[in-house]
Amino acid sequence: MLKLEALSFQSHGRSLLSGVTAAIPGSALTCLIGANGAGKTTLLRILAGELRPGSGRFVIDGTPSTSLTEQQIARRFSIIPQDVPPPAYLTVAELATLARFHPRSGLWWRPGDRDRAIIKSCLNVCQMDALSQRRMDQLSGGEQQRAWLAFGLAQEKPYLLLDETLGGLDILARKSFFGLLKGIASQAKGVVLTTHDLELVSDFADWTVVLRAGRVTYEGPPSDRLLDFLAQAL
Amino acid sequence: MRLIALVLAGLLLVLIAGALVGLALGPVKLDVHQVLKAIFSGEDPMAHAVVWDLRLPRVAAALVVGACLGLSGCLLQSATRNPLGDPQLFGLGGGAALVQALAIAGLLSLGTWALCTLSVAASLVGAAGIALFASRQGISPARLALIGVSISALAAALATGILAKARTFSMQALNFIGGSFANVTWQDLLPALPFLGAGLLLALPAAGNLNVLALGDRVAANLGAAPGRTRSLAIAASGILGGAAVAVAGLVGFVGLLIPHLARLLVGHDFRRVLIVSIPLGAAFTLWADQAARLLFMPSEIPVGLVTALVGAPLMIYVARRVL
Repeated sequence: MLKLEALSFQSHGRSLLSGVTAAIPGSALTCLIGANGAGKTTLLRILAGELRPGSGRFVIDGTPSTSLTEQQIARRFSIIPQDVPPPAYLTVAELATLARFHPRSGLWWRPGDRDRAIIKSCLNVCQMDALSQRRMDQLSGGEQQRAWLAFGLAQEKPYLLLDETLGGLDILARKSFFGLLKGIASQAKGVVLTTHDLELVSDFADWTVVLRAGRVTYEGPPSDRLLDFLAQAL
Repeated sequence: MRLIALVLAGLLLVLIAGALVGLALGPVKLDVHQVLKAIFSGEDPMAHAVVWDLRLPRVAAALVVGACLGLSGCLLQSATRNPLGDPQLFGLGGGAALVQALAIAGLLSLGTWALCTLSVAASLVGAAGIALFASRQGISPARLALIGVSISALAAALATGILAKARTFSMQALNFIGGSFANVTWQDLLPALPFLGAGLLLALPAAGNLNVLALGDRVAANLGAAPGRTRSLAIAASGILGGAAVAVAGLVGFVGLLIPHLARLLVGHDFRRVLIVSIPLGAAFTLWADQAARLLFMPSEIPVGLVTALVGAPLMIYVARRVL
């Protein structure tokens, strides 16, 4: 369970988040919804430990963020950012292998048996076994997303954050990706996704948080009430 | 693992063969037996002098400069995520070139140690500029390369201007602009060695993280790879190596650009392997280029930079078509 307690964040004198309070379940697919500039990406970056909130804090499974360093926060969240061009030369398996990289061992790092088993099972979950030796630039958009997802999963962190990663995909690919995320979330992983895709949100999300101009305007399961609310708000 | 052992063993053979050619052939021809005897004993004073005072320092300089340039290019390419990374192209060599031009023109009289240190310092200034630009969000690889090329062109123009103003279009000036190992002595080479060591030491802690840097800064930071520090270390190491290379041999082009791409063709994309292989590969390429520069038109010599460009340009076009 992630508890956001009155998170605020300013940048260049502009308030991007103000008093964001919400509870994000630990084993569920949570969708962050909001117009561009509503603060979704900023919130994800704070959760990932990339940004420090100006005020407020969040509590990760009982541990307050204020008692953790950026690195310790990063160890609890794997991120899949938007618009990252995949390194063209990497194969899917190599990308997933990098997820197990440990900076401490740096130069001499090699994946062990346990790493290999984890990589294999994550590729399997993401239906990428058959494509594991393909290079990233030989994959379709949907396949690339699934490869990144395998990379995110293979880090074995309790929470997975995805930042609008589905932009270029067609509806079928998006639908199957949401299905995949839902399955992953049910395996005791907190998945948080920013999206504009309201139809899929109402079909798949377990929980939704709506942001508007840096404030939470709705929090709860997707329901008719949410859709009515969004119809008015957006 | 077997592939990289095979590649390294192959390169070692190429290096040994190149060193033998470098020691044996020239205006005075020696056979392998004479070379070995001259290295280990002073029985034949003439052969001893030829090998120890003329040819061995030259072979060693080619090895050191090649290793520096290969390593430097390799670090730049991965730290800036830019396939055009090269100490010359990115302007790191520019500051060092100015320092050397001032020295050749007689406007700066320093000992070889001070001169080498000053070259490295000047090169580090260029490296700091590149590190600053590379760390900014939204600087595309092409823009970074354009900035670097502009700095390089400016520095080269200034260096040429300094030489012209001082009317020193001597052989020495030509050798500097074209890059050359002619008349290199132990005194020229020794000051570069500590910088090669320092560059290596600085690069090693960063090397493991550079693979992850290719995934973008946010992901790299999320994996704990400290992208800012990793990049700064790698670029600083690259600057030190590039500056030392210029101090010894002048402007030898194409080695830093080409070697990492060749290494990738040989051993794949794991940066750690590319780094290890780039060292002997750069050394071997430069050593053999120098043999061609020395021997093709004997008794006159051509600048080694001409040979590396003649061989490097077509190879680079091949690599660009295949890889980029």
